[in-house]
Amino acid sequence: MATLPDLAPALPEIFLACASMALLMIGVFRGDGSLRLVSWLTVASFIVTGFLLLQGPEGRAVTFNGLFVADSFGTFAKLLILIASSLAVILSVNYLEKERVARFEYPVLIALATLGMLAMVSANDLISLYVGLELQSLALYVIASFKRDVAKSTEAGLKYFVLGALSSGLLLYGASLVYGFAGTTSFDKLATVLAGAEGAPSVGVVIGMVFVAAGLAFKISAVPFHMWTPDVYEGAPTSVTAFFAVAPKVAAITLFIRVLVGPFGDLAVQWQQVIQFCAAASMIIGALGAIQQKNIKRLMAYSSIGHIGYALVGLSAGSVEGVRGVLIYMAIYLAMNVGVFAIILSMRQSGRAVEEIADLGGLSKTHPMLAFAMAVFMWSLAGVPPAAGFWGKWAVFLPAIQAGLYPLAIVGVIASGISCFYYLRVIKAMYFDDVTEPLDRPTPTAGFVVAGAALFVFPVYIFFLSPITSGAAAAAAALFGAR
Amino acid sequence: MSDILAQLGAFWADLPLIVRIIAGILVIVVPLLIGMALLTYFERKVMAAMQLRQGPNLVGPFGLLQPFADGLKLLSKETVVPVQANAGVFFAAPMLTFLLALVAWAVIPFGEGLVLADINVGVLYLFAISSLGVYGIIMAGWASNSKYAFLGGLRAAAQMVSYEVSIGLVIITVLLCVGSLNLSKIVEAQKTVWFFIPLFPMFIIFFISALAETNRAPFDLPEGESELSGGFNVEYSSMTFALFFLGEYINMILMSAMTVILFLGGWLPPLDIAPLNWIPGPLWFIAKITFVLFCFIWVRATLPRYRYDQLMRLGWKVFLPFSLIWVVLTSGVLVYFDLLP
Amino acid sequence: MTLTTIAFYAFAIVLLASAVRVITAKNPVHSVLFLILAFFNAAGLFVLIGAEFVAMILVIVYVGAVAVLFLFVVMMLDINFQELRQGFMQYMPVGLVVGAILAVELVFLAVTQLAGGPVGGQANNAPIPPVDQVTNTEAIGQILYTDYVYAFQVSGLILLVAMIGAIVLTLRSRPGVRRQQIGQQLDRKRAEVVQVRKVPTRGGV
Repeated sequence: MATLPDLAPALPEIFLACASMALLMIGVFRGDGSLRLVSWLTVASFIVTGFLLLQGPEGRAVTFNGLFVADSFGTFAKLLILIASSLAVILSVNYLEKERVARFEYPVLIALATLGMLAMVSANDLISLYVGLELQSLALYVIASFKRDVAKSTEAGLKYFVLGALSSGLLLYGASLVYGFAGTTSFDKLATVLAGAEGAPSVGVVIGMVFVAAGLAFKISAVPFHMWTPDVYEGAPTSVTAFFAVAPKVAAITLFIRVLVGPFGDLAVQWQQVIQFCAAASMIIGALGAIQQKNIKRLMAYSSIGHIGYALVGLSAGSVEGVRGVLIYMAIYLAMNVGVFAIILSMRQSGRAVEEIADLGGLSKTHPMLAFAMAVFMWSLAGVPPAAGFWGKWAVFLPAIQAGLYPLAIVGVIASGISCFYYLRVIKAMYFDDVTEPLDRPTPTAGFVVAGAALFVFPVYIFFLSPITSGAAAAAAALFGAR
Repeated sequence: MSDILAQLGAFWADLPLIVRIIAGILVIVVPLLIGMALLTYFERKVMAAMQLRQGPNLVGPFGLLQPFADGLKLLSKETVVPVQANAGVFFAAPMLTFLLALVAWAVIPFGEGLVLADINVGVLYLFAISSLGVYGIIMAGWASNSKYAFLGGLRAAAQMVSYEVSIGLVIITVLLCVGSLNLSKIVEAQKTVWFFIPLFPMFIIFFISALAETNRAPFDLPEGESELSGGFNVEYSSMTFALFFLGEYINMILMSAMTVILFLGGWLPPLDIAPLNWIPGPLWFIAKITFVLFCFIWVRATLPRYRYDQLMRLGWKVFLPFSLIWVVLTSGVLVYFDLLP
Repeated sequence: MTLTTIAFYAFAIVLLASAVRVITAKNPVHSVLFLILAFFNAAGLFVLIGAEFVAMILVIVYVGAVAVLFLFVVMMLDINFQELRQGFMQYMPVGLVVGAILAVELVFLAVTQLAGGPVGGQANNAPIPPVDQVTNTEAIGQILYTDYVYAFQVSGLILLVAMIGAIVLTLRSRPGVRRQQIGQQLDRKRAEVVQVRKVPTRGGV
């Protein structure tokens, strides 16, 4: 009899897998109309998963024959993902009911996508990287076209699927090259093989690594693999967009960091150039592309491209501080985006969902609190002190400057300046334009989330800054320490 | 006597490989074709007995030569090719059906060591070949360019793919108890008890799925004469039709042989005691196949045809979950009692 | 020239020829049939290198199930392939460039491997169990269910998501469809449905 692998490090994932299958059965047997029950149970299982994560083994634990790793770097990212997914489910329920697509499969698919993200974050082998990524992506393709009777939603799903498949292909091709030239798929062994190689690293491994990076860059929608983002954000149901904007981004960027710093850490010179290019291009395209947008979901799509650019600035420094900066940035990014999307989800005029920036006109007169919260988020997204967004940018730019990446920092500052323009345009619409048609009252859930996120973004974050920073620092140190 | 046998054996071993293979093929195929002819006679006689009729009784003693007369009749007829038909595929389809029905026999063990190709993955080979059988039908249905034939072909494709799933799971259950994919080893594993006793529900599912897989009543929707006027082979005549006919009946014998190997102990006698183990293994094998074939015919004479949605329901909603649960159950029991081979 | 060599060249030639016919055949159904032939010959090649399990699984999964569905769809669809073909020449240069890049990389990989490779030696030396002691069904099972059980389970979840996705995106419950109620059918009592009456001659019911 073969012995079982050590299951303890993967306990949260195993629990979530079992829970999502159980939720599926509950949904199937209770039939339609069980959306609320399944949603709340999903949130509950996310909370339990988070609890199990915190109870997990100390330090770095590798199991399943080296395919799976649990460390504090992963735990930090997983907690962010679980928070984002829970909030996405909570915000979705009312939206789905109003849009008449209340089906219990939605929270189940989100749970499975979240499971995929956790698997991505814990990947310690090119194979587990790929299966985790596919689990997440496949669930996301489906929920992108969840409003299957609406042309835009199905278009979003199809576009995302076709381009996602292409990027998976790139990633697999790269992985096969890496395997062919390095002779192993395990991250730990790759790191030793590449560290032991004398002289210049093999061209094959470098090409393979670039392909893997391209596949992952697609998932975080970094330029030049960003084309799908605006269309998918606009077409997908808004609740899905809210989910897309946060959790998958956190998961993919964490995986990105793990792959580049872990196995390819010794090729830093090679990948830093690629990441610097992606970062600069993303910041510029994100800033310029958003200027002309009238649809707030498209605006947020370009905004997220830009933000990924800023996060990549931290990664391109290639240092512990840089990775710490990215983690802090993603935590703050999470709060801002959840808040903004909670507001977008409550944008309804006499029961009909609207998503133009013009529809926000005169919000300060009809819903002063909502308008103020939105203003805080925009302020923070633009990265203007003293809001939280500024500290995020500070955390990623400082290591870049320390690493001597002055041009990149200058591009970042210019892009921030440009992006202020369109964030302020939203504020202008709310405070200085006339009311076209007042928005409906937001639901209490959305109100709570908005209020919570707004308070976090300013000023409560100041109290959280030190735990987040120390957590991120420990996480980054764990990642670098394992090498 | 043994002297002659030893000489024969030495002579056999001296022959070149290719000659031995061809001789082996002939030794299997010729009796098989005769057996198939007798099967049609057997079917008509049994059905006649069940329906209080006489059955064929004019050609030869007891009508025994009837199938050969039928064969001659088919041979002498004209092959009609529909004008709009896709000739290449149209002719390839019956040949493929016949060919696949024959090649599967290469791995069937008729007795201890009596097998043409004793390959490690015998069960998978059989499963693969039987899953290819659908192509003959679907190609025939499409190439005929006739709506009845096409509908028959589509029905056959959906039906065979659906029932293959449960057949696969049944096979997995048997493999769990054997620990090998080799057909001879599967038979030898049944020395203590034939698998149809511990795995009785799987035996029933396999038998019913075999009916569906060979398009036999009550699952003969692909060729339902009352609704599709003959189904996928409606445009075929003469030798092309005969090849389909041959293929179908040889497939029946094949599925019976699979049932016997997987569940009824292959060439083994029911009890390893004096009068029973005097009878040579191949005879036991043939006797068991005949019994299963009798059941095939019995079912045909008894049951009305299924409706298409009921057929799909049975395959996907009843057999699939049931056989899945049984696989889990079997493996659980085997692991718990440490019975894994 | 042994039997194996002859078999190899036969399989290889038919495989390549049918692969070419897949993309050049005018009739889509012929394309699918050639694809099936190509799969089949690939399975033959697997048998020749002693990978009988993979060969059989290739036939069962790809030929026996996937290609049947392909054929099913292609036969049911009414596609005008002449129209589809019109863009062919237009996209040809792009396709050739991509193909050339892939080919160059493959050649590069092969050459480096043959030359011993910079770091690639380990993959070649990966332990392959001796064929005469362990059947390759067993060998695959050993690796799949122990070393790679994690990837195996996650793949299972991916398939689950695919199933849920297919149902979510396509299943519609049409109103007014009468379904078979097996329980109800079996529950019927003779007394509820049969009535025996004595009918007087010439009187009618």
